Amino acid sequence: MGLLAAGIGAGIAAIGAGVGIGMIGKGAVESIARQPEASGDIRGAMILTAALIEGVALIAAIVCILLVFFA
Amino acid sequence: MKRSLRRPLLTVLILLFATSTPRAFQDQNSGEESKDIPIDVIGKVQDHNYLNLAGYHLELPRILLVDGEWHFFSSTHAAVESGNFIEKNHTLVPAGGGEITLDLSITSHLMYFWFGIALTLWITIAMARRYRKGVGRETEPKGWFQNLFEITFVFVRDEITKNNIPGDKYEKFVPYIFAVFISIAFMNLFGLLPWGVTATADITVTGVLAAFTFFITQWNGSKDHWEHVFWFPGVPGLMRIILTPIEIIGLFTKPLALAVRLFANMLSGKIMIICILGLIFIFAEFFGSIVGLGASILVVPLTVALYILKAFVGLLQAYIFALLSAVFIGMAAEEHHHEEGVEMHA
Repeated sequence: MGLLAAGIGAGIAAIGAGVGIGMIGKGAVESIARQPEASGDIRGAMILTAALIEGVALIAAIVCILLVFFA
Repeated sequence: MKRSLRRPLLTVLILLFATSTPRAFQDQNSGEESKDIPIDVIGKVQDHNYLNLAGYHLELPRILLVDGEWHFFSSTHAAVESGNFIEKNHTLVPAGGGEITLDLSITSHLMYFWFGIALTLWITIAMARRYRKGVGRETEPKGWFQNLFEITFVFVRDEITKNNIPGDKYEKFVPYIFAVFISIAFMNLFGLLPWGVTATADITVTGVLAAFTFFITQWNGSKDHWEHVFWFPGVPGLMRIILTPIEIIGLFTKPLALAVRLFANMLSGKIMIICILGLIFIFAEFFGSIVGLGASILVVPLTVALYILKAFVGLLQAYIFALLSAVFIGMAAEEHHHEEGVEMHA
């Protein structure tokens, strides 16, 4: 059961992070296309926001790894 | 310059291969004898009490506290030989029963943590000496290394620190942010070397680094920062009962997320590579060695690509750690809270 829970949990975390980072990428690409001279600032903000989302997804992944090895 | 570097590098590479080959074959032979042992994924990432380097095996000292009494040994083997400890499931247990209260042994992760810090210290002190002599201040920076150093330093100072820490306070934090940036970058990249250990793939290492950021953030917190934590301005009185605990939890979740982000990124990179390489053995086990050979043609280039990705991720994560540290410090050190500022919740 622990293995099953870990697999399902990792999958759901991947879905959430994928949607989130995809939306950031969409927003960044659209705004760079609209305003190419601000691409440096936009890229920095994109990396920062992606890192924040990635952190949440990775916490979920760590919980799943803990489930595999300690549950 | 380039030619002078090429020869030592080549020598080191040849030495590495020359000394590693017999050992690699030895491992393979012993692996065939004990076929029932599965591929140990976490064992490769785990902390160990020894360092492996190009066929050499270096045991690290053990420092153990048992019931208020300190024990020092030069290696795990010496601890067992002294009769005070017995080895059980690859961990040390006191021979007279009971448990180890505190294990302060020097481990491979700690060694690589020190390597990263020592390299950082060496580079920064050497560079500082050069700048004090006037090279780079009165003249142009000399040599590729100083140029690279200056580019990195200016990037950290302007892009990471100055943009995120308001006012003229940023200068105080540049040394910390820079040290964190390059030492984490070194620690991440050490993991890509043969026999290398990724120190940052250990939650204790990243936890310590995040704790530094936490204490620096709180130490430099302005009056406004603490007002926001305990007495949020401009909200109805009852809301504060809900807001204050959330803000206090928020103080701790930020460094926690910082630690877990770096740790999980480095750990997942290691596990991914071992899992993908393990596919060869899984295919060979189920469909015979020819299919395993075929799988290796596909898998090995993929691993090479993953290594390049890991080098990029290692630098990116060092950048993100430094950037978020600067953002957190900047948020706490801000004097006036601007309404247009975006609240960061990590």
